[in-house]
Amino acid sequence: MAEQNGVKLKVQGISLYFGKLRALGGVDIEVRGSEILAIIGPNGAGKSCLLNCINGFYRPQEGEILFEGRNITHLATHKIAELGISRTFQNIELYTGLSVLDNLMAARHLHMKQGALAGAFYFGPAYREEMKHREVVEDIIDFLEMEAIRKKVVGLLPYGMRKRVELGRALALEPKILLLDEPMAGMNIDEKEDMARFIIDTIELRRIPIMLVEHDMEVVVDIADRIVVLDFGNKIAEGIPSEIYASPAVIKAYIGE
Amino acid sequence: MLGIQMDSSNLDTLPKLLKNNYLKHGDRKRAMRVKQRGIWQHYTWKDYYQKVKWLSLGLISLGMEPGDKVAILGENKPQWYWAELAVQSARGTVIGIFTDCLPAEVKFYLDNSESRFVIAHDQEQVDKFLVSYRDKEGNDHKSIVEENPGLKKIIYWDDKGMRGFGSAPIGDYANPVLMSLDELMKTGRDYEKSNAQLFEENIENGKGDDIGIFLYTSGTTGLPKGAMIRQRALVDGTGAWFAVDRWQQQEQYLSFLPPAWITEQALGVGGNLLSGMEINFPEEPETVQENIREIGPDILFWGPRNWESVTRLIQAKMIDTSVLRRFMYRIFLPVGFKAAALRLAVGRPGWLWLMFYSIANFSVFRALKDKVGLLKVRCAYSAGAAISPEIFRYFQAIGVNIKQLYGSTEMGLVTIHSDDDVRPETCGPPMPGYEIRLSEEGEVMVRSDKLFAGYYKKPEATQKTYRGNWYMSGDFGHIEENGHLIIIDRMDDLKELSGSRKFSPQYAEIRLRFSPYIKDVLIIGSKERDFVTSIVNIDTENVGRWAESRKIPYTTFTDLSQKNQVIDMMKAEIARVNKNLPEWSRIRKFVNLHKEFDADEDELTRTRKIRREFIEKRYDYLITALYSNQAELQVDAPIIYRDGRTGTMKTSIKVNEL
Repeated sequence: MAEQNGVKLKVQGISLYFGKLRALGGVDIEVRGSEILAIIGPNGAGKSCLLNCINGFYRPQEGEILFEGRNITHLATHKIAELGISRTFQNIELYTGLSVLDNLMAARHLHMKQGALAGAFYFGPAYREEMKHREVVEDIIDFLEMEAIRKKVVGLLPYGMRKRVELGRALALEPKILLLDEPMAGMNIDEKEDMARFIIDTIELRRIPIMLVEHDMEVVVDIADRIVVLDFGNKIAEGIPSEIYASPAVIKAYIGE
Repeated sequence: MLGIQMDSSNLDTLPKLLKNNYLKHGDRKRAMRVKQRGIWQHYTWKDYYQKVKWLSLGLISLGMEPGDKVAILGENKPQWYWAELAVQSARGTVIGIFTDCLPAEVKFYLDNSESRFVIAHDQEQVDKFLVSYRDKEGNDHKSIVEENPGLKKIIYWDDKGMRGFGSAPIGDYANPVLMSLDELMKTGRDYEKSNAQLFEENIENGKGDDIGIFLYTSGTTGLPKGAMIRQRALVDGTGAWFAVDRWQQQEQYLSFLPPAWITEQALGVGGNLLSGMEINFPEEPETVQENIREIGPDILFWGPRNWESVTRLIQAKMIDTSVLRRFMYRIFLPVGFKAAALRLAVGRPGWLWLMFYSIANFSVFRALKDKVGLLKVRCAYSAGAAISPEIFRYFQAIGVNIKQLYGSTEMGLVTIHSDDDVRPETCGPPMPGYEIRLSEEGEVMVRSDKLFAGYYKKPEATQKTYRGNWYMSGDFGHIEENGHLIIIDRMDDLKELSGSRKFSPQYAEIRLRFSPYIKDVLIIGSKERDFVTSIVNIDTENVGRWAESRKIPYTTFTDLSQKNQVIDMMKAEIARVNKNLPEWSRIRKFVNLHKEFDADEDELTRTRKIRREFIEKRYDYLITALYSNQAELQVDAPIIYRDGRTGTMKTSIKVNEL
């Protein structure tokens, strides 16, 4: 179980500049094998920048990102995804014209081995492969209770549902770690409760560690194992939820003095 | 043909019927289909028989004995039906429990029936046994497993959320009292090796007098009572129905009503075994509308509320559809109504109307029925409460031959329309083997050998329901000259205004509920009162859409319900129904309730009937306001969440006059 509790993802002193503007200034973060780590902070604190660095959208000018001990700082985005880092986006990024099922199947692309030609004839190995992936996808549909929307076009779904589909797509990659960017933004209470339950289920039942960026303090305190607080690109606090909740530095950053 | 056919006169139990089907059809015919992982999967009669065998032997190997009670709680899935037959094959009794029962209710059923085994659907159901809970009086209880040490095993069939990890989120799923259905089946398979003939012997030894199932009466008053149903009543009750409608082997039936209800027992369990028709299970309760199109059922049984919601769905879709389609619908719907009226009155419309109707059918009704999955329906049933004649006529107009039945847990199903004599306002004549008559007070009385065997451990209560060998139904009714039964209301629910003017609240309620904007409604009036008032539950979805299309902003259900425009609209809806009511029983005042009636708060029964007395008591302050000169009142409404937590809500309600 060493690997379970060991460090899965390690961010070492990364700094990110946009011109002269410093978005991240030497941030250190560790995500352990079976935990929900929440990143919180006011607007513009650098939370999403951090996620974008981890999965290769941005290149930090300083520092290293290690995933399972391997340096991934300069890998291409798709390589990072292949290694098992999967994420969702603040502004949902799904194929809005495709069905839920097709969106999830598209995410399986990473694991598909048959070429376009074999796929076009849909025969023998390609057929068997499709069945195999469909099974994985059906597991996720069952897991996230999306049976009723399986064949619905994503663009027509309500917002909260689309968020759930996005989580589904991230899971379809069979990731080793999941990065969630504000999974509950703009949701009503029912939707938030559902999402919180799915996030907890993900860690309890699928054993996928989660790094969660979220604004909603109540949710974060309820579900996170540990919390890291960012402010103006610096880590100003780190600890278990009850500590963070009471920390003067955090209160100052959020509410002012 | 496989083997020897059994003598059909001896088929007096459900397990014997199952064996008969197995011998007749074996592997060559499907018994049931279920949608799983997006694909329809089927079980043949051989599969059905074998699963039942192994489950039955598995239960016996765990120590189940004849006469033992086994509770089943789950959604409509093949496993429910296998489990039921498995228990009955071992000469045990099934206790049917509704899936949305709270832990305290489940505990009551277990204690009352002395169940030793439980077969439960999934984590949600299993948690009811593993987790400590708070009852409605606010007392804390330890989990059922701790409080009922006599409970030997809890067997679940869907392990989602309980897989693998010992330290799982809610309950202790490593508790040895838990066992999966697959494991039980495997145990049964092993047990069969040393007891090869046991299962067949058990079926042979089964008697028509064995109690097959306890169905708890929905209990609009007091604690639920366990009605004991004999095997013979299950078989012959369905048989009487079968004699009227002759379901065919190749016909498809959609299983939708809860199996803990007598109708699903008769049609889903019994009908399937008796006729060999195929029973189809939807994937999830939420996917029924989608699945029904894929199934295209020939046989369908819905409660009046489901039929209402389909009409509401059609009406709502019609509002959103293209101008041309709406135009066609407006033109042809009256044709349908006219043709249906002629068909109901004189048996067959004239050739002119037949021609019009076939045009209407081909251009509109067929497509419409297809969209809601009713295209192939041959037998469409409704029971449980009276269905509004408007809805009845509507389905007849679009060509769905909807029929009403009358019955109850205790009586089984008693009356039914025959295909050539369907009348909107009646429940039809009695089925073969049932007699009906009225008492002097107008109460419907039923005599048959297919009635229930009494309430469990309540002989006095049982005795009270009989006058001689006639069963007193508690329903106020009327028998027409042609033998059709009309049910007006429950005896207890008939009300009187001052000056002994009698009226039936239900009559007006049903007609009000036909409005797409009204979800539930309670009509109030009593001897001390001069006029009738009502508490209305708006239909969030439709009223919300209505408000949006008129650019009326609103926030919550409460806010929407108290909008002046919504209240005016509601006034118009009530005035429409008032027109057809006798002067004195018209609704003079009403309130739009600030919340929806909820079964979790005891306002509705599990079959979604209104619990009149409870609501009248709970909202007595509203009723007082309705009969005073108050125009508005402040309320503090307690709400109970599913997990037992409580909260309150402050809001103001307007009292509206017509």
